[in-house]
Amino acid sequence: MSPAAGRSVSLVFSAALTLTAFASLVSGATISWLPAERPVAVEVDHVASAPTHDSAGLAWAHTLAVFAEQGSTLNVPAMAGTWRMTSGGRLRFELPYPVTRGVRYRAEYRVAGAVPIISYFALPADTTPPSTTVLHVFPSADVLPENQLKFYVQFSAPMSRGRTYEHVHIRAAAGRVIELPFLELEEELWDPTMTRLTLLIDPGRIKRGVKPLVDMGPVFETGKAYSLTIGDACRDAEDRPLRANFEKKFQVGPADRIGPDPAAWKIVAPSVGGRTPLVVAFGESLDHALATRMIRVVQADGTELDGDVSLGPREETWGFMPDRPWRAGTHRLVVSTTIEDLAGNNVGKAFDVDVFEDVQRHIHMPTIEVGFFVK
Amino acid sequence: MKKTSSLATFSLIALGLLVPCAHAALTDGMKEGKPELKSMSQLTFGPEGILFVADTKAASIVAIATGDTRPSTSTAAIRALAINQTIAALVGSKAEDIIIEDLAVNPVSRQAYIAVSRGRGPDAVALLVRIKADGQPELVSLDKIKFSRVALPDAPADGSVGEGKRARNPRNESITDIAFADGRVLVAGISNEEFSSTLRAIPFPFSTVEKGTVVENYHGAHGKFETRAPVRTFVPYKVGGESHLLAAYTCTPLVQFALKDLTPGAKITGKTIAEFGNGNRPLDIIVYQKDGKDFLLMSNSSRGVIKVAAEQITGAASITAKVADLAGLKFEKLDWAGITQLDRLDGKFAVVVRTGASKMLDLETLALP
Repeated sequence: MSPAAGRSVSLVFSAALTLTAFASLVSGATISWLPAERPVAVEVDHVASAPTHDSAGLAWAHTLAVFAEQGSTLNVPAMAGTWRMTSGGRLRFELPYPVTRGVRYRAEYRVAGAVPIISYFALPADTTPPSTTVLHVFPSADVLPENQLKFYVQFSAPMSRGRTYEHVHIRAAAGRVIELPFLELEEELWDPTMTRLTLLIDPGRIKRGVKPLVDMGPVFETGKAYSLTIGDACRDAEDRPLRANFEKKFQVGPADRIGPDPAAWKIVAPSVGGRTPLVVAFGESLDHALATRMIRVVQADGTELDGDVSLGPREETWGFMPDRPWRAGTHRLVVSTTIEDLAGNNVGKAFDVDVFEDVQRHIHMPTIEVGFFVK
Repeated sequence: MKKTSSLATFSLIALGLLVPCAHAALTDGMKEGKPELKSMSQLTFGPEGILFVADTKAASIVAIATGDTRPSTSTAAIRALAINQTIAALVGSKAEDIIIEDLAVNPVSRQAYIAVSRGRGPDAVALLVRIKADGQPELVSLDKIKFSRVALPDAPADGSVGEGKRARNPRNESITDIAFADGRVLVAGISNEEFSSTLRAIPFPFSTVEKGTVVENYHGAHGKFETRAPVRTFVPYKVGGESHLLAAYTCTPLVQFALKDLTPGAKITGKTIAEFGNGNRPLDIIVYQKDGKDFLLMSNSSRGVIKVAAEQITGAASITAKVADLAGLKFEKLDWAGITQLDRLDGKFAVVVRTGASKMLDLETLALP
């Protein structure tokens, strides 16, 4: 890729000038980026001596090559893609993926005995101000158990993956960063839209005994104050930073080693004929995602009711607004026993149990049901 | 990521005594077409050039007949510098937007395959890349290829999430590792909601997937019981003639499970045979033979690459008491720095991806120690 030799007639178009995006002209041939604003293809017209057929694209690939420049001296390959002759006699290279901001693309048209023609394209620099924010963090309570297991961070727009743990921290008093608090997974735990991040506290660093762990110590200790911070350098899917730093402050209270007990939940039964919400009070905070998903309402005939679910403050209550008015009679709340509280305890099973007990004893029904009456 | 054909089979292939059949039974039931891959997070080779791909976003495992079944007679090293940059050039992107998800070497052809994500956002494209003899990457076309697919049960399509206004489902299951052993694809996973560690054993060719096995283990370094933590990486290995899995967890217990115990819906407790140290994530494990003995090689996030004589495993004591840091199997630390991906190239060499001097990712061949 020696620069000067082949570039006697090359023109570099600045980002602002790429609207027409036509390049140098030699022997009547012109390179065009199509469409000019955000090209999906590169075409050469007045193709002089192009091979007439080339299903494998090999000869065409040598004639018209497009490079995504990497700013290094390394010998990088030309872009993969597909080539064809258009009905108008133009040699066309189709870019297999959308063009990326921050990359300068270089098209080279080479025919034997002629000076190569070179043309460049780059998207304009991003001038959009940062707009993505952290909408919520769950749990929303400001006192969490010492064995708190998970945080969900809800962003306002899709995020990018792979560098998140660099920007997310647990800080103790005076801003001291707790070392390696999270169970870090290379691919990170995102929902499919990449707007919600799940952070798991490393279960190896949840305090279990009276003494702190011999190695790095527990992440949380009762009676102390902490914060979960998300730095604005965290990048969204458009590679823009967040609009601002985010901080959730909380206190840590005693460990919770008792699983949720649906039989003890307080159910405020709605009245027949209306659409007043059913309200269930857990008596503690439950895991936001699981409490939203793992409780269903079933009529006496076994039909599941459709409706809207909402969680109350601190995820201590669950509300259900049915799509249709309540009918009289017995209803059941069907709860998956894998529902979790903030410490990851399930129905009938604490998060950390003595595995030398008979483990079979802990296996139970997948759901538990609690009845209520609508009248 | 790890060898799934036995060492013995590999040796026979290498000696030319056993030639894989181009139209063997395992690919017969596959259909031809273009597998839609939403993501490629983990790779492992099975027999006959079949590549198993974990598609985390689609919660499925896809078996691809690569057709790459010609036994290699080469002994040459594979070397490809700055693969994040050369792959970026190939697919019209920049090095920062290329994620190297996994590396797997086809044990038959000795070719290195890489699962790549082009982009870091929800629109990222999953690509399969092969490294050519000259060190340059090439895209493996999946447009017309024989494949089969199996969906993981209990994964995002969750019955309790309805249609219409409640259809959005933020649940996702990440696959932390896959391997092939005894005719089954083994899949370790973790959900982004329920905290549990599951191992699934999926018979191949695919028919149905059974419910996963919930696994638990004792973690000596933490002095109490660790339950439900996810398996980070694992390797199939025969102990006393019986198939086992050696599974590594964060902070870094190595736990042995009998493959026959992985039955649908069961909960099993593994036997912890080593503690390799705190503040560390295991990345990859491979098994190899040297001078007639088996060894494990395990790469780690902060404890480098360690070598373990596998003969210690038979009869290893179960760690059930609190330990300060290290316990169980003895190991030797190698001076292989910056390793992020590891697989076995052949009987004598490993292929690694490591962070080079330029902070670029280099693919290199290293002699097995």
